[in-house]
Amino acid sequence: MPTATPPNSLLSPALLAQLERLELVTRKMFRGRVKGERRSRRKGQSVEFADFRNYVAGDDLRFIDWNLYARLEKLFLKLFLEEEDLHFYALIDASLSMDFGDPTKLHFAKQLAASLGFVGLCRADRVKVESLGAARKNPGPVLRGRHSLWRMLEYLEGIQAGDNTSLEQGIKDFCLRNTGKGILVLITDLMEKSGYETALRYLVAQQMDVYVIHVLSPEEVNPDVKGDLKLVDCEDADIAEITVSRPLLERYKRTLASYVEGAREFCTRRGMSYLMTSTETPIDQLVANYLRRRGLVR
Amino acid sequence: MNIINTLGVLPWIVLASVPPLLILLYFLKLRRVPLEVPSTYLWHRTIEDLHVNSIWQRLRQSLLLFLQLLLIALLIFACLRPGWKGAKLSGGRYIFLVDTSASMSATDVEPSRLETAKARVADLIDQMNSGDVAMIISFSDGAKVEQQFTDNRSALRRKLRQIEPTNRPTNLREALRAADGLANPGRTSVRPTDDPDTIDVQVADPLPAELYIFSDGGFDPVADFALGNLTATYIKIGKEEKPGNVAIASFATERNPEKLDQQQAFARLENYGTDTVTVGVSLYLNDQLRDADEVTLEAGKGKGIQFELLDTDVLEIEEGVLRLEIQHKDDLPLDNVAYAALNMPRRANVLLLTPKNDALRFAVATEEALKIAEVLIESPEFLESDAYATASKAGVYDLIIYDQCVPKAMPQANTLSIGTRPPLEKWNFGETTGPPIIVDTDRAHPLMQLIEVGNVVIVEGFPIETPPGGTSLIDTNIGSVFAVSPREGFEDAVLGFEMFGRNENGDVVVNTDWMRQLSFPIFVQNVLSYLGGARGSLAAPSVKPGQPVKLRARSPIQQQDADKEVVRSVTVELPKRRLGPNPEMFLCLPTRMCWAFTKYEKVAARTSHIDSPSICSTAARAIFKSPQSSPSVKPTCMANRHGSRHARSSGSYC
Repeated sequence: MPTATPPNSLLSPALLAQLERLELVTRKMFRGRVKGERRSRRKGQSVEFADFRNYVAGDDLRFIDWNLYARLEKLFLKLFLEEEDLHFYALIDASLSMDFGDPTKLHFAKQLAASLGFVGLCRADRVKVESLGAARKNPGPVLRGRHSLWRMLEYLEGIQAGDNTSLEQGIKDFCLRNTGKGILVLITDLMEKSGYETALRYLVAQQMDVYVIHVLSPEEVNPDVKGDLKLVDCEDADIAEITVSRPLLERYKRTLASYVEGAREFCTRRGMSYLMTSTETPIDQLVANYLRRRGLVR
Repeated sequence: MNIINTLGVLPWIVLASVPPLLILLYFLKLRRVPLEVPSTYLWHRTIEDLHVNSIWQRLRQSLLLFLQLLLIALLIFACLRPGWKGAKLSGGRYIFLVDTSASMSATDVEPSRLETAKARVADLIDQMNSGDVAMIISFSDGAKVEQQFTDNRSALRRKLRQIEPTNRPTNLREALRAADGLANPGRTSVRPTDDPDTIDVQVADPLPAELYIFSDGGFDPVADFALGNLTATYIKIGKEEKPGNVAIASFATERNPEKLDQQQAFARLENYGTDTVTVGVSLYLNDQLRDADEVTLEAGKGKGIQFELLDTDVLEIEEGVLRLEIQHKDDLPLDNVAYAALNMPRRANVLLLTPKNDALRFAVATEEALKIAEVLIESPEFLESDAYATASKAGVYDLIIYDQCVPKAMPQANTLSIGTRPPLEKWNFGETTGPPIIVDTDRAHPLMQLIEVGNVVIVEGFPIETPPGGTSLIDTNIGSVFAVSPREGFEDAVLGFEMFGRNENGDVVVNTDWMRQLSFPIFVQNVLSYLGGARGSLAAPSVKPGQPVKLRARSPIQQQDADKEVVRSVTVELPKRRLGPNPEMFLCLPTRMCWAFTKYEKVAARTSHIDSPSICSTAARAIFKSPQSSPSVKPTCMANRHGSRHARSSGSYC
């Protein structure tokens, strides 16, 4: 197993070692295109015997149990449990708003995507990491096998803030191109003026196990501002003039709480997993604790 | 609070735009620190519902802006020129009318109605706000402005305390006029220009005022009076139920018509209460009890009583004051005492000018006639003498009888012209015709009392027309042949037919047979009595407060002093000598007929008895202002020989 150090700070060796022990879990059984390392409900070619059935004309002769034929002179077909691979998608919201915080939310999102992708790669799952809307100009590579870690990291390195379309458009594109089953991890800050509901609603139609990871910077959770401010939206240069006061901050926190709660409820009702996290949370802790608790990894 | 706007529309717009500009500048001045945030999404949602009051959130922290706005607001407010001009301007002017008539002295409310009314006024004065002005008018039959409009409350109170009761009747109209003249000037005058479009200009601003009338309501309703700007409030003083009162309604002396030497005193008592009362009545002559009686009076009824004054009493006392008292305690004690003067009849000074008239000579020389008149008989030539000229001017005689002669000018005396046409203005004398047949006589007139002339035959006579005010006494088919008419305090009687005339040959002819009739000496007696003034001095009718009193001085003796006015001064003594230190009397002196008026009714008020001649001040003013009467003011009356003529009055219950 190659244990080379990643060329950047996305994944530390310790983290990699930790991640190696994990595997992605899905609550649904999916059929991958290639034989994977997972058992499928479907019968197929694998080493794990499942059942016998009578031979009917046209069946693959390779699966006839010749030993049984020798004993009973009847043709039985040997059925095996098919082993499948898992499709893992990580969608990173690379809007400008993600480029905030220290470390930036985008960096945090990249780290998370890399971590989960690495877990998938280790388990020979089909891993696809891309930024929202990147399909048009720079579609993310489909990766398999841990040797693809470098390619994944390279791709993640190349994601720049602001090179994605809107949340809705990006998810729509994604859904159109990826109709299969799998695990989708959407890493975003949900800061969408037009609302995230329409965007997430596209995912409902997909037969995917959807995880929405809501990344917020500490500045957003606990804004440390004072005085008369002219808040400039970095995306559309929208201006909000505020005079900071304690009631205003309290009101902001209430608004944020209700916003998060609204998003959580929205996702829960539609069978999606929602997780709000701050960029302060260490990645290993997040993956090893929170996501494991959520059942994304095992 | 009133606001006097001194700015026009444009200045107001400019001024009103200052505060918004200030706020605008304040916001422009506010430099917000730009801060880039990932998204203003949440912030917008946060401040969305704060937008409504966000401006106040901002302003809350800027004390400086508040101070500036306050300054601007005060500036604008100052431009409005606010001030307390008195929102109660109309209520700020009060007129207090205080009734001081005799009925206000009633004691049915303690201590008296007037005192109660004064206390009420004092209460109102206490309630006056600063800046309010008030006026006090007291009124009885006339109005007196005690205090002009002033806001000096102590002056108002002082003047209020000085209001004293009078014995007069009530006449609200005078007081209302006085108040009205101040509150409703309202008259207009024409601007003196030739402009045909000249309109009436109001000469003065009407000043609304609140009128408070403090009275017991004992006055007639005042009709035809527009209050105008006055807001009248009538405040009733006194108890609702009728107070008990027994009053002397009249008190007079009269000669007994049957026994001419005797005098009688008549009085009429009225019971104004609701119960039948029995009162004792005492008659005093010069404070000595002369007679007493007891009278039972039914409620609401009156009764007359009579006292005989014996000869001896009268003869003993030349002049005296009769006092009648009711021994009864009631709510209005003022009218329980009445006074009447008792005068010995003075013989009239009569000049008879006749060439030869025996009937007349005999008639004036009867025993009865001598009792009442001293007659000087002269021939018509006496008319030319200086003595006559002086005496007639000086008013020496009470009566001058012209028989068959005519004076050049009318004397200062009563006259009787027999069969001649005296030089009287406004009289009209017709042509001599005859024979006149007597149709009617005026028996009510004192001159014609007890005279029957229906059997008198007259050969010829001339009709007489008197000026207005005159009285025709004998009417015939050709018109009045005997008439009497007043002339400046005197009276002239003209008989339209001669007794003895002369024909063309100068012979004496008899014109009538009246001299042979029984009625003739009675007629002469009436003439001497009435025109000679004897009756006037003897009879003492009731004089009510507020009425003018006619006083007659005794005839002067030194009438021979030519060109000298004999009467220099007249002293009028009030009963009990309760006259104030300086009671100004207005006397019209050229004759012996004196009209006396007290200027100050305080004199009457101070005596607080209806015995004093409280004389109508209205009349006094009228006389005083009249240039013809030219009254000479005597601050202190010099004593002279003229005895007092007591003015009499009896209670008049208003």
